Amino acid sequence: MNDLVLIRKNLFRRKLRAILMMVSILIAFAIFAVLASFERAFNAGQDRATPDRLVVLNKINFTQPLPISYYNRVAAIDGVAQITHFSWFGGYYQEPRNFIAAFAVDPENWMKLRDTDFVFSPEARAAFIRERTGVLVGARMMEKWGWKVGDHIPISSSIWSQKSGSHAWDFIIVGSFTARIPQADTNVMLMGYDYFNETRSFGKDLISWLALRTTSVAANERVIEAIDGMFANSPYETTTDSEKAFSKAFAAQLGNIALIVELVVGAAFVTILMIVGNTMVMTVRERTREIGVLKTLGFSGGRILRMVLGESILLALLGGLPGLGVALLLITKVRDSLMNFVPALSLYPDIAAAAVGLMVVFGIITGLVPALNAMRLNIVTALGRS
Amino acid sequence: MRSIILQILAVTAINLKSLPQRLWLSLATVIAVGLVVTVLLAFLSMANGFRRTIADSGAEDIAVVLRSGAVSEINSVVLRDQVRLIEDGPGIARGPDGKPQTSGELYLTVNGIKRSTGTKASLPLRGLGPLGPGLRRGVVITAGRMFNPGTNEIIVGRALGKEFEGFELGQTVTFNSTRWSVVGIFAADGSVFESEIWADLPVLQSLFKRAGSVQTVRARLTSPAAIETLRAYSDNDPRLKLDVMSEAAYFAQQASNTSDLIQKLGWPLAIAMALGSLAGALNTMYSSVAARATEIATLRAIGFGGFSAFVGTLVESLILAAIGGVIGAAATYLVFDGFTASTMGASFSQVVFNFQLTPRLIGQGLLLALAVGLFGGLFPALRAARMPIVAGLYG
Repeated sequence: MNDLVLIRKNLFRRKLRAILMMVSILIAFAIFAVLASFERAFNAGQDRATPDRLVVLNKINFTQPLPISYYNRVAAIDGVAQITHFSWFGGYYQEPRNFIAAFAVDPENWMKLRDTDFVFSPEARAAFIRERTGVLVGARMMEKWGWKVGDHIPISSSIWSQKSGSHAWDFIIVGSFTARIPQADTNVMLMGYDYFNETRSFGKDLISWLALRTTSVAANERVIEAIDGMFANSPYETTTDSEKAFSKAFAAQLGNIALIVELVVGAAFVTILMIVGNTMVMTVRERTREIGVLKTLGFSGGRILRMVLGESILLALLGGLPGLGVALLLITKVRDSLMNFVPALSLYPDIAAAAVGLMVVFGIITGLVPALNAMRLNIVTALGRS
Repeated sequence: MRSIILQILAVTAINLKSLPQRLWLSLATVIAVGLVVTVLLAFLSMANGFRRTIADSGAEDIAVVLRSGAVSEINSVVLRDQVRLIEDGPGIARGPDGKPQTSGELYLTVNGIKRSTGTKASLPLRGLGPLGPGLRRGVVITAGRMFNPGTNEIIVGRALGKEFEGFELGQTVTFNSTRWSVVGIFAADGSVFESEIWADLPVLQSLFKRAGSVQTVRARLTSPAAIETLRAYSDNDPRLKLDVMSEAAYFAQQASNTSDLIQKLGWPLAIAMALGSLAGALNTMYSSVAARATEIATLRAIGFGGFSAFVGTLVESLILAAIGGVIGAAATYLVFDGFTASTMGASFSQVVFNFQLTPRLIGQGLLLALAVGLFGGLFPALRAARMPIVAGLYG
């Protein structure tokens, strides 16, 4: 009988107790994995952004517009490699609560800029450039509404209206695209700016913001100064920022999600740590006499220490690993209903790896005190204690 | 009957007096339950505070008119002619001078810096006409004065001034290369309007190139029921593609998404944690029964019934959970009640609110704690009641 068998037998000596502890460990790690993934997905905008991507916004606030003429002026600045403009459409499908993330863009340049995030088929690329009333719809949005390429769909805007007074635009889906990297969100719709601009009844020749890529990260500083300097003291002053910083500031507006996650995960872990830690102390104390016998048989203190620690680590893993499974299940289940809020929700491998690491640490912490007690146990006291 | 009660009392007393022998394990249960209740109540008081701040801002006898499908003020556009048609509409109260009690308003967002984090946040800048403040409950200037019409002057809501930098009385702020002076601070009965900046409508219209159009029209109704008349009037006129709703309904809808989301996060988390601590409670109570096996068997041998052993164990578990619940509720009250936070509301702009813990919420927290105590004690109590006397005495 090797030590591992002994560890296993010890752990399951009181089956109910072991199972209860595993359940509480399972829950703590499920909470950890779900919340950490949630927070990661929430901040995915920052992760996706490469450092050479900048956004140019109206200085007053990102909801204020910029003139379309800025597009060519910024494109001409030395150090700007690729650029596109965005106009927020404020779309919905049939009912205002069916929110559709839709933007009017310059099709060709938008696809060039987002080539690192999305995969465009040559047909979709050509059709989106060619068809004035065409829209490009991301794979997840297609799936969500059951649309297919060639469908005619009416999309209403909660902001804009057509010159006819109608709030709805009829679009043809000319193509779709998929994500190249997991953080890229394909629950999005793009339309050509020209058609949108000609048909809307007000706000003509205005856009929401510009997005651009610099020739190198080193050029960022210079490009930012050139853009904001160019429009200083004009009726539309700009503020240029890295896409990462902008996403971060935007996410921060909802509140300190990271802090909330940390507090809840902290509370869950403290709870389990106390319960399991105390139970381990109790379990080992119940076994005092046996440990005395093992020592009499020649088991060294170190070996006893390893066995008790092994037991608590095994317990943590047996509880924690299924916890990760539960988290995976939960995340897959709620992913679609939270698509608008946290697009890239999934159980990230590094979070799972961190969880496994935490399980080992957790096992060591809960097992340390009883293991040390067992190691130091004096045979005479052990056998004498009843 | 009397003897059963006496037995129960005696066994319960023994259980409770022996608690110190299982101090650490019992304490772990108490603290675990306490943390569960704290997490639950923190979320619930946050959702409640947010909802109250927004929902209480709306009055039943004020109509809010938005472009149809706009959902929130920031999206809406109401044109000059539509404003006029609404002003002439039925059901709108008129002042002593015969003028309709309406206010066309612009709702823009501008950047501010949040004090606690130093990050940029979007703040609402509302342009309103002379009747605007009067259409809101309890608006008073607490410092300085009202802005003068036609000038670049702003007044700042009390809550906004506390949470965001640069809006102190007498300061100058710049939006769009125009400078604005903060000439007053206003309170509005703790409503969402205290998270806003107010300026003169025509000045904002010209500086933000929105001449002629507004985003919403607010109107005082002759009675809350008049909303139906006004809505019918708007629906029947093809020139008015507008949504007419009471201010109370508007704000209730604005609040529901965020506060539902907070609650939807809070409950499952708390229940998951409660299940975790339930495992702990079961463990504690089973150990308690195991530790008292000899004692229980002795009591049974001298004629005590199994029922008293059952109740004694259950009461011990309930008391531990209740102590945990009370500690959790007290901790939430001390740490979170009145805690000021701000988040993004439905119009992409910040809403400042306070966490509000109410007796009803505390009741829900304690109920969850007692549920943990009940289930955590039930099975161990059954074991105690069914324990064979002989096994207990030899154990």
